[in-house]
Amino acid sequence: MIHTVFVAGLSHRTAPIDVREHLALDEDKLREVLSDVAGRGVCSELMILSTCNRVEVYGVAEVPGEAHGAAFRHMTAQRGMDFQALEPLLYTKTGPEAVLHAFRVAASLDSMVLGEPQILGQVKDAFALAQSCRVVGPTLHALMSQAFAVAKRVRTETEIGRYAVSVSFAAVELARKIFGTLDGKTVLLIGAGEMGELAARHLQDQGTLPVYVANRTWGRAQDLARDLAGTAVRYENFPSVMAEVDIVITSTAAPEPIISVADVEAVLRARHERPLFFIDIAVPRNVEPAVNDLANAFCYDVDDLRSVVESNLRERQREAQRGEGLVEREVGKFVDRLKDLEVVPTIVSLREKLEAIRRGEVARALGRLPGADEATKQAIEALSQAIVNKVLHGPTVKLRDSSRAGQGRRWVEVISEVFGLGAKSRTGPEP
Amino acid sequence: MNAVVFDVALTAYIVAAAAALGSLFGRREDLARFARLLTVAGWACHTGAIILRWVDLRRAPVLTLAEGVSVVIWVAVLFGLWIEHRYGITTFGAFFLPAILALGLGLPTGLRGLALEPQLQSGWAVVHVALILVGLAALVLNFGSALMYVLQERQIKAKRRGAFYYGLPALETLDHLTLVTLTVGFPFLTVGLVLGILQAWGVLQAGRSWGGLLAGDPLALFSLVMWLVYAATLSGRAVGLWRGRRAAYFAIVGFCVLLATLGAGAFFHGRHGS
Repeated sequence: MIHTVFVAGLSHRTAPIDVREHLALDEDKLREVLSDVAGRGVCSELMILSTCNRVEVYGVAEVPGEAHGAAFRHMTAQRGMDFQALEPLLYTKTGPEAVLHAFRVAASLDSMVLGEPQILGQVKDAFALAQSCRVVGPTLHALMSQAFAVAKRVRTETEIGRYAVSVSFAAVELARKIFGTLDGKTVLLIGAGEMGELAARHLQDQGTLPVYVANRTWGRAQDLARDLAGTAVRYENFPSVMAEVDIVITSTAAPEPIISVADVEAVLRARHERPLFFIDIAVPRNVEPAVNDLANAFCYDVDDLRSVVESNLRERQREAQRGEGLVEREVGKFVDRLKDLEVVPTIVSLREKLEAIRRGEVARALGRLPGADEATKQAIEALSQAIVNKVLHGPTVKLRDSSRAGQGRRWVEVISEVFGLGAKSRTGPEP
Repeated sequence: MNAVVFDVALTAYIVAAAAALGSLFGRREDLARFARLLTVAGWACHTGAIILRWVDLRRAPVLTLAEGVSVVIWVAVLFGLWIEHRYGITTFGAFFLPAILALGLGLPTGLRGLALEPQLQSGWAVVHVALILVGLAALVLNFGSALMYVLQERQIKAKRRGAFYYGLPALETLDHLTLVTLTVGFPFLTVGLVLGILQAWGVLQAGRSWGGLLAGDPLALFSLVMWLVYAATLSGRAVGLWRGRRAAYFAIVGFCVLLATLGAGAFFHGRHGS
């Protein structure tokens, strides 16, 4: 059963962006592909994951190549692409490797930005879509449920998603390292640069309110203040506002610094040395770099924030290593479970069969013993159960062991034949 | 018996400190948990040791320097565990446990015998010592949080993620902690010292000068210096001058004087020990 699980596709690792964006399909088209490929009978289960960074077909098929070949032919035809040209970009994995791939993708270990959280949602959506098209069976169901569980574990047990990997989020993270909670902290935004606005928005999302906006052009300050639900202040008044706020974001086009060391010294005295954090996103810089040397003043420029991002990315790589270990162990467990899945129906129907025989024989025996007291009845019941359990033990253990050893299929045949079990148990669970 | 139990507790603290440092440098959550568990276990043993000694001696075990240091450690560990829990600082153990050991490891080296002069072992003397000990415990933690502040501030200012950057809490949290520990510790220290001075007053009236008294008692002299440092820190904070880095430096200086005070008590003879 495990060898029938496959994944085939292309991702940011194998295909350039123009191929990926060209191949991406919307939901309706995906439904069409899923129904069509499953309808041809080349696979028993199917799911397609289509995001801007990867297009992948997951499924269960006796001949995986036929199944994903059909799926990609259909998809390329939909988009008017040449399948032959696409083929060299495709990777395929089967069995435990496919399971590993599914787990790594869901856990964001294969993402372009390690640990980005969107991919899990995208996998869940793809799974839901396949379910709604009725092309998901027990194997894909088990695989994906486990992939979601593993992804969650990786997220909670490692710190892969903990540290910011964009400049504006890095600024938020630093603010948290300085102030702890950002609730009730206030922000002054000077200038109208896009990155400055973005950083202000991210800070607001953390509960930082309110925002003051200063700009040389009064109208622009008012517009931006309205956008950010903040307050516009006159540009010439910003030094006095600085005494009140906790975080100052600068992104003006001024050719010279607009905030000097002396300014900040005066402001710090006025605010009783409460810490003040400057996020200087402007190039050339708006805040004199030496401001950072003052006690209780912290100043980060764009390059500083970039280096924070770089070190956070290294941090994610470090955490990803731990995630990989966790995923590998989970793959081992899952493969064993899947192998059990192959023999479980046989074990169940064997038990059912023997149990039916037992009940019939006990009823017959008791019919012939009308005067039997309660103790006798119980003894007969217990005796018959013990015999059934002892008989079942051997075949059950043999089936489980053989499935782990990869020979489950053969022993399912043998035992079904010997005990005269129905054909149903031989093919495994129905989708 | 109580000495054995105390040694068990001290050993637990030592291993816990090593684990906490390991967790800080290696950024291992599991080691931090292990350290916390050991600290709690050590503290339980420590409690047992103090009770055993109390029952043994039929008096509060706060009259020798060794007993005093033991109580400082006991209170500091309890307070430290509370801070770890309250502020969610998993790395706090790596800072306050070594500070505690700096005190505790002095004990086996000749400190154990030191005791107050028998005629001073009154009820008031016990209160005087106990209050100061609780104050000192808070000040040990004050040192721990100040050290964390200085390290974290350096990392943020240097714009480089050092080994501890991710493990240390926010600067404001640490600044708040140094303030809390100082405001808890200082009143205990002050009242305890005032009680001591009042008792000295009684001795003074028996015919000696203040100068002579202090000169003959290094522990008392250093205690006053220590009190002045902490008083200066607290008033500097109160008027809004010293926050953050400056306050943290003062806390570190204060702790050095604290160690010197105990050292003075240990190595010079005075009224507090002979």
